[in-house]
Amino acid sequence: MASLNLQRNLLWIAVALAVWAALPFLVPRNIADLLVFTGIYTIAGLGIGLLLGHCGIVNLAQATFYGLGAYASAYCTVMMGWPSITGFLVGAVISMALAYVIGRPILRLTGYFLALGTLALSAIASALFFEWDWLTGGTLGIGGIPKLDLLGFVLDRPSRYYFFVWIVAFACMWAAHNLVDSRSGLMLRAMRDSSTAAAALSVDLQSLRTRVFVVCALFGSLAGSLFAHHVSFVSTQSFTVDRSITFLLIPVIGGATSIPGIVVGALFITFLPELLSKLGDVHQILFGLALVAVVVLMPDGLMGAWDRFRARLVARGGSDA
Amino acid sequence: MSLSKIARFATALAGLTALAVGAQAQTPAAGEPIKIGAIVSATGAGAGLGIPERNGLLLAEKDINAKGGIKGRPIKMIIEDDASNPDTALSKANELIFGQKVVALLGPSLTASTVAVGGVTHANKVPQIAFTGIGPAVERERKCVAHVLPPQRLNAQALLEYAKSIRATKVGVLHDAGYGNVVMAELRPLADKYGVKLVAVEKFEIGATDTTTQAAKVKAAQPEAVFVIATSATPFRNVKQIQITQPVIAAIGSSSYEYVNAMGTAADNIAIPEFVVGEDPLPHQKAFVDLYKQAYNSTPKNYEAAAWDAAHIIASALNKAGADATNEKLCEAMKAPYSGVLANYDFSADDMTGIPIGSFVFSKLVGGKYTRTPFRVSQ
Amino acid sequence: MTLSLILQAIFAGVTNGIVYALVGMGLSAIFKGSRVINAMQGEFAVIGAMTTVLLLTKSGWPYPAAIAGGALAGALVGAFIEVAFVRYMALKNASEDSFLLLTIGLALTLSASVLFFIGRDGHLLPPIGGEGVVLVLDAVIQLHALWLVAIGIGATLALRAFFHRTTVGLSMMAASIDADGAATTGINVGRMRTYTFVLGGLLGALGGILVTPLISVDYTLGLNLTLKGFAAAVLGGLTNPLGAAVGGVTLGLVESLAIIGISSSYKDVVAFSVLIVIMILMPNGILGRAGRRGG
Repeated sequence: MASLNLQRNLLWIAVALAVWAALPFLVPRNIADLLVFTGIYTIAGLGIGLLLGHCGIVNLAQATFYGLGAYASAYCTVMMGWPSITGFLVGAVISMALAYVIGRPILRLTGYFLALGTLALSAIASALFFEWDWLTGGTLGIGGIPKLDLLGFVLDRPSRYYFFVWIVAFACMWAAHNLVDSRSGLMLRAMRDSSTAAAALSVDLQSLRTRVFVVCALFGSLAGSLFAHHVSFVSTQSFTVDRSITFLLIPVIGGATSIPGIVVGALFITFLPELLSKLGDVHQILFGLALVAVVVLMPDGLMGAWDRFRARLVARGGSDA
Repeated sequence: MSLSKIARFATALAGLTALAVGAQAQTPAAGEPIKIGAIVSATGAGAGLGIPERNGLLLAEKDINAKGGIKGRPIKMIIEDDASNPDTALSKANELIFGQKVVALLGPSLTASTVAVGGVTHANKVPQIAFTGIGPAVERERKCVAHVLPPQRLNAQALLEYAKSIRATKVGVLHDAGYGNVVMAELRPLADKYGVKLVAVEKFEIGATDTTTQAAKVKAAQPEAVFVIATSATPFRNVKQIQITQPVIAAIGSSSYEYVNAMGTAADNIAIPEFVVGEDPLPHQKAFVDLYKQAYNSTPKNYEAAAWDAAHIIASALNKAGADATNEKLCEAMKAPYSGVLANYDFSADDMTGIPIGSFVFSKLVGGKYTRTPFRVSQ
Repeated sequence: MTLSLILQAIFAGVTNGIVYALVGMGLSAIFKGSRVINAMQGEFAVIGAMTTVLLLTKSGWPYPAAIAGGALAGALVGAFIEVAFVRYMALKNASEDSFLLLTIGLALTLSASVLFFIGRDGHLLPPIGGEGVVLVLDAVIQLHALWLVAIGIGATLALRAFFHRTTVGLSMMAASIDADGAATTGINVGRMRTYTFVLGGLLGALGGILVTPLISVDYTLGLNLTLKGFAAAVLGGLTNPLGAAVGGVTLGLVESLAIIGISSSYKDVVAFSVLIVIMILMPNGILGRAGRRGG
């Protein structure tokens, strides 16, 4: 029985992989482009999902780290002429350091206060991105960021970049999965469900929360660097408070505790506006309504709703047999 | 809220159901229209630009087709909304260029979107005419991306020309952190050349709801004139509220009826270097203004005219190069002087715009209406 | 830096502060009564102001009637949101952040609706007390701003009296402090929550109407006001509407003094940094625990 299940699972994974690999060649270029954004948003959303689903922390500052990664890549490649990898590294190091330094005091806040604290952080960063134009190019931004080049193979179109972005996304998902499955993951959930009980078990809440915050910042920065190399242009408009809100929507819509849920959330965020925009200017109203509908009708996100639907199917199937 | 809007809302809801079923609308291939793509910000923060631009494009489409199209073939304008988001603009550009196979791309409305889209059009040599002034350094390399609004350096120059004409040598500036910052960067080095001293430069954030304190700092420096460079009505109101009585000169970015309405009585006597004064158009602008008034029952301003020009520029390039010309040929055909409604362009110029300072007209607001002043800059 | 400049900054700070306070008071009244952070509080201001503008200019109502209509619109939308969404979600024991997301979704919808149905234009209302100004040492204050401050203080005191002196207000307080206990004494906890939203909508709409003679209202205004109102409410301790009033004025003053003291470009940086520091150092708001009893 178990081996049958395993076989079936393997089969599913093989089918999913084949679909994943064939997808960019089957769809038009603009859809491939949206799939690249889905991958980038998945990476950024994963971090927020970890914080929300396993620590109960609402992080409204992800656009800050996304911006740091993007500006690091833009500055290192365009202004300094260094290889692309340096941008990724510099962005990651700065983001993680900033998350650590700011995370320690800010994460002492809880609930809505913490949400507002991160929101304030995003507002400050967004103002500084405007202000420090020697670094960020200000409103005009920095253009001409080169496409990534893997040993002479230039990732200059969405169908090529797709593979790179999604391999990074899968690596991040795997890392997130390990973190959640580990002892720290267990402690995290203990802390979310009852912080006093966890404290009694001598779990160092602060440093654990800070660690997840740092991981979240790392994911945000990676996503930002990938974004910069995809769009080849960065400007303040992409890193505002609105963008932080968009990132928060990803795990909430998909389901914060489930890693596939993040992908579903990212798909929702990228494809629904595209679909709705065919209906004319009314599309933004409809997107807002869709969001409200998901929040009201599916409290654990689309993934949670799907799980419940499946459970009901199984239950019905069981009683039939 | 009009009935027709409610009807549109209902139609859209019905359409949504159709989309959900997967019915992809296909246009029937009849008459072989030439497809021209356009991206505007019809929703979101940039809607104040995008909606007038879309009006101008649709009017131009009608006008070009009424006059026989491109050697008998009609043009078809495919207009997409980027919701004021550069990411969306990029995927819309991909759809238009690779999905719809448009011959050229008009727009987008915002600088960030323009530079992002330019990455695709430039790499694939698709002609693009942006509704923005030329932006960061990288845009100078993009020789197939033309601009129908002046570079910010020219806007700064126009402000200074007007200051010179009223003999103001000490000028205070109130500007926002976005558009205003960019113009300001050009204004600083130019001010010296005009013998103008910037006695106070105060900045405020985009979307600020109050700039009284900044305005008070400008007032305290006792300038002879005040430049306000912004894309909102707030600073203008604040300037009048704290009783700055010196002449106020606004940059073109705040020249629209929406902003003027929102300024209320504070709008009076503000001078604006711009291009189209619909109440009193220049002779070569009259035909466009009349047509626009007829179609939309409102008076056009600069953005409507810029979009109208962009559509006609690409039509004239198509007429020259032929509808089946390669992208490179079309680009080459575009790189020429063109006298438009907004200005006289020369797209072979280094800044891919080529607007001379003489194209500016200077308007003054009187009772919430624009009046054209006789002042022009001689070349 | 002259005295009149400082005075001007203080005037601006207080005027803005009162606006933040009105938005913040609505936010904290709603939070107090329902534990919901209302991310569309600023949209209430837009609804109130836009309705007043339309009634005044399109329907030709007299100004006071149009103001009453605008305030009523805010209250009605507040009631609708509670009845249509919050009640159902509360029944399902939805988490704190799903309420936050609900109101973010509603804020997006409303802002897009204003753009779609009413248009992109900014609108102004006539100032209360006329266009006149008062001069103090060269610093200018609008007559309307004085009215705004007076009405703002009046609203704050009325709110306090409402919570302390009226049966409904006391019942709302009771329902928010101990829902089960209140229910046993015969208070309809669900209805109290509806009232809370009515109150929040009313205050938000009032703030929007009062500010529209000073700054024009358009579809983008809501988010900005929400952010500032949220900050004001948190500074005041979140559960204390009176604290939100103090928080709003503090925030307004910090902002405007930062402009003359540091630089106008760092205004938001200073204001939000102060906010973070106060939240960490004074978790109960600037009025401290004593302030908790105040609202």
